[in-house]
Amino acid sequence: MHANKPENFYQNVTEALAQPDLKMIIRRTTDKAETKRAEAIANFPEFEKARQQGQKVKDHTIKYMDHYLAEFEKNAAAQGTIVHWASTGEEASKIVLDICRQHEAKKVTRSKSMLGEEIGLSHALDNSGIERVETDLAEHIIQLAGDPPSHIVWPAMHRSREDVIKLFREFHKDPTYSEEITDLVRSARRDLRTKFLTSDIGISGSNFLLADSGSSCTVTNEGNAELTITPPKVHIVTAGIEKLVPSMAHAVPLLRLLTRSATGGEITQYITFHNGPKRPNDADGPEECHIVLVDNGRTKMLADGMEEMLRCIRCGACMNHCVVYKHIGGHAYGSVYPGPMGSVLTPHLDSLKVANKQTHACTLNGRCEEVCPVNIPLPKLLRALRAESWQKKYEPLTNRYVVKAYAQLAKRPRMFQFVSSCGVVFMKLFSRQGWIKSMPFTGGWTRNRDLIEPESKTFMQQYKASKKAKSSGGR
Amino acid sequence: MDNKRNNESRERIFNAIKAAAPTVSMDLDIIQKEAQDILAESEFARPKLLAEDAPEALVNRINAGLVIGTSCEIVASLEDLPHSVNQFLNKYSLPPELKVQNVPKLQSLNWESLSIDVDLQKDNTVGMCWAEYGVAETGSFVVHSSPEMPILLNFLPLYLIAVIPKSKILHYMDDYALIASEIANRGETPRNMCLISGVSGTTDIEGVLVQGAHGPEISHIIIVEDQ
Amino acid sequence: MSEKNSNADTESVQSNTIECLNISEKRVGFFVTCLVNTMRPSVGFASITLLEQAGCNVEVPELQSCCGQPAFNSGDDEGTRQVAYQTIEQFENFDYVVLPSGSCAGMIKKNFVEVFKDDSEWLQRAQNLADKTYELLSFLVDVCNFEPENVEFEGSYTYHDSCSGYRSLGVYEQPRKMLSKVKGLDHKPLNGHSECCGFGGTFCVKYSDISNEIVAEKTENVLATEADYLLGGDMGCLMNIAGKLNREGHTEIEALHTAEVLAGLATEIVGAKNARK
Repeated sequence: MHANKPENFYQNVTEALAQPDLKMIIRRTTDKAETKRAEAIANFPEFEKARQQGQKVKDHTIKYMDHYLAEFEKNAAAQGTIVHWASTGEEASKIVLDICRQHEAKKVTRSKSMLGEEIGLSHALDNSGIERVETDLAEHIIQLAGDPPSHIVWPAMHRSREDVIKLFREFHKDPTYSEEITDLVRSARRDLRTKFLTSDIGISGSNFLLADSGSSCTVTNEGNAELTITPPKVHIVTAGIEKLVPSMAHAVPLLRLLTRSATGGEITQYITFHNGPKRPNDADGPEECHIVLVDNGRTKMLADGMEEMLRCIRCGACMNHCVVYKHIGGHAYGSVYPGPMGSVLTPHLDSLKVANKQTHACTLNGRCEEVCPVNIPLPKLLRALRAESWQKKYEPLTNRYVVKAYAQLAKRPRMFQFVSSCGVVFMKLFSRQGWIKSMPFTGGWTRNRDLIEPESKTFMQQYKASKKAKSSGGR
Repeated sequence: MDNKRNNESRERIFNAIKAAAPTVSMDLDIIQKEAQDILAESEFARPKLLAEDAPEALVNRINAGLVIGTSCEIVASLEDLPHSVNQFLNKYSLPPELKVQNVPKLQSLNWESLSIDVDLQKDNTVGMCWAEYGVAETGSFVVHSSPEMPILLNFLPLYLIAVIPKSKILHYMDDYALIASEIANRGETPRNMCLISGVSGTTDIEGVLVQGAHGPEISHIIIVEDQ
Repeated sequence: MSEKNSNADTESVQSNTIECLNISEKRVGFFVTCLVNTMRPSVGFASITLLEQAGCNVEVPELQSCCGQPAFNSGDDEGTRQVAYQTIEQFENFDYVVLPSGSCAGMIKKNFVEVFKDDSEWLQRAQNLADKTYELLSFLVDVCNFEPENVEFEGSYTYHDSCSGYRSLGVYEQPRKMLSKVKGLDHKPLNGHSECCGFGGTFCVKYSDISNEIVAEKTENVLATEADYLLGGDMGCLMNIAGKLNREGHTEIEALHTAEVLAGLATEIVGAKNARK
């Protein structure tokens, strides 16, 4: 599958809507996530309080970001972790590659990290000739298929069981010939097991960075992070600077929110805090540990008044509940992060110029904000990006002219009323039996639905007439 | 490491943050007070437990089927473990062998005909670990890496038995975080602290839950009373 | 009720019920909204009837236009301000401002202040207007404590909650409460009642095909209720869903604004519609 580009959004959408099974494919994952989340929240009456607390944790850390970053750096170093700083994704990828080369790594295992995708690490590793093994089952599937991820929690949700059967038979050494999902998972288990144990370097992301201890925390259902990190000699963490929290105790409320919002489970099976390299005599674990702290647009979000977006804990609830995502799927967005959160993030990671169309692909219905575990006002941020792209004149000219003409009219009520009444007369010309099937200037509407026939006169015309009648009748 | 580049990037990031929020106080006391105040809210922002008593709440949680792939039992003393293990192996028709963690408490028990050292690199093995803590809120057991605790012991077997001393079962994750910070203050933080709440699972193929993705498919928690 | 607004809403409801004692002395400015003005004037007249029944002293300023959403949602802040200036001037001296639309009311209540962040004088005036602006159905219940009397309308209805009414203004119980007083009318719950219908203002023309997929799902849910009428509080959503139903050939279900039913105009409107078919 080719990777879509964000600037081709219109075309991506057309292609997505033309895929006959896409809606069913998306729904089988998002519907379940939506139902399970609702159940989890119903079973957790304190959710609203937890959400407020979670938001405070993130806001506090963001407010004192430089303090906590410095703390983290100091404490991670004290644990024996080597801390690297990267301003851009490219730089971060290069740091990781340099470490791999320095250790003459032939094979690296990776546990799922959206940041890894964001900084283009997969491509960088592939281009360097190092064998890259994705260990999260979904990442494993899309690696075999050569696909970009379509969701931040279920990156392979767009692949059917039939696809997986084909892929595993082609690529696994000892594939299953059963079509049962359990057997398919076992096939991957066998295939990945030897790779875990023979990897030179394990690369992970991090769900939380704890400032007071310099720890990084991974959260998985599969346990693949620990299997990725423990056997190799070197562990590399790549993490965005917004992953910081003051301490483990501050990560706890966010953990409560994360799983419930992501999968509807109450807690993820494996939560592990990684504190540097193995201690002397430890039974296992990496001998060397690196953390690459990545900016890649995050400080720009701070500067641009988008700091609320830095609260994001990557649960995916906003996309699971987004009416637009549910119809076009993740690939249409053309970026690593799809859906509402992606439409806010991508302009900062890439540029608003290439990703402004996505900010308009939203009805501003507010569902994403309603389900966000850390109260990110996504519609407000999307609207703010529209305002920025309006100022920078990224909008198509026709849109600009229409909106400008509207504003010029709407600021002159008399003229507005007059044009409205003319509009009614004009519309009446095209209506049959109470409906307008098509007419000039309404193509966007009548392309897919009919327009009700208006009454003969506008409200204001009728109202004025009746007032006049009343007052003359009264005389 | 390219130190020059690294320092430049570090500088750039810190400068950008300072430029974005130039008036933020850096008074440590204020920052710490704010951070503490947020933690005080946990008391009202966490789920109710299934019992007041932490071990009971943990057991109720597992018995209610809320911890994926996990069962549990309570035994009076360590000496009861071999019997429980035998029952577990019988239940799943497994051969009389398991990898028992290399801690004297477990190794010194009378395992009779059970073989207690198997190669974990093989699949379909049974592992037995000594958990440092249990957490009632999440149905978790907590393991710390150490010379006696290979982390892989908890991840490679297909079946995992975790032994938790009853006295070490905590109510909430917050309680564990408090203990972790005490451990840190003593300078004894282990490389890994794992909160394990269920078994290795995936829903990546058509949303269907499968246990035993990479690690355990079945897990059994044995709570020991006299420890 | 939306998850996060529930607390705030109960508070505002309580404080408002105290004021309802002397509502008759209050001047209510009625903001018609573009879609009601051009496409469905009967909603405007129904609204005035209801407000008067509730004891309000209703005035309709003739120099009104649009709430400014097309500009605001397109990111044109300057255009929004231009439109907002005259709305604020026209309406700021009323005791209450009422609109028969959650989305337009939400625009004045929540969004005007967004575009006046750098202008303290207008920010103050925008906030002042926001504080007294209400969506019609919630105003009737929360502020006027209104109950429709002797209204009859035979049939069953299902209710679509518009996103802005439901999420941004917490309108949920109020229309249902009033409709339960209408004789002969049965409620059939709508699956996904608060799911967006795909209208989204300019969204439905800009991304017509995505919008189409979304509304097609809505019509499926609406038809599954087998209700005779689809009711709602926002003309945008109603026109979108009704327009899609008609395009699909489903003429068996009629969309009406809740105000039309509550004001007793529904029978006449449906009769006139059927005569034209």
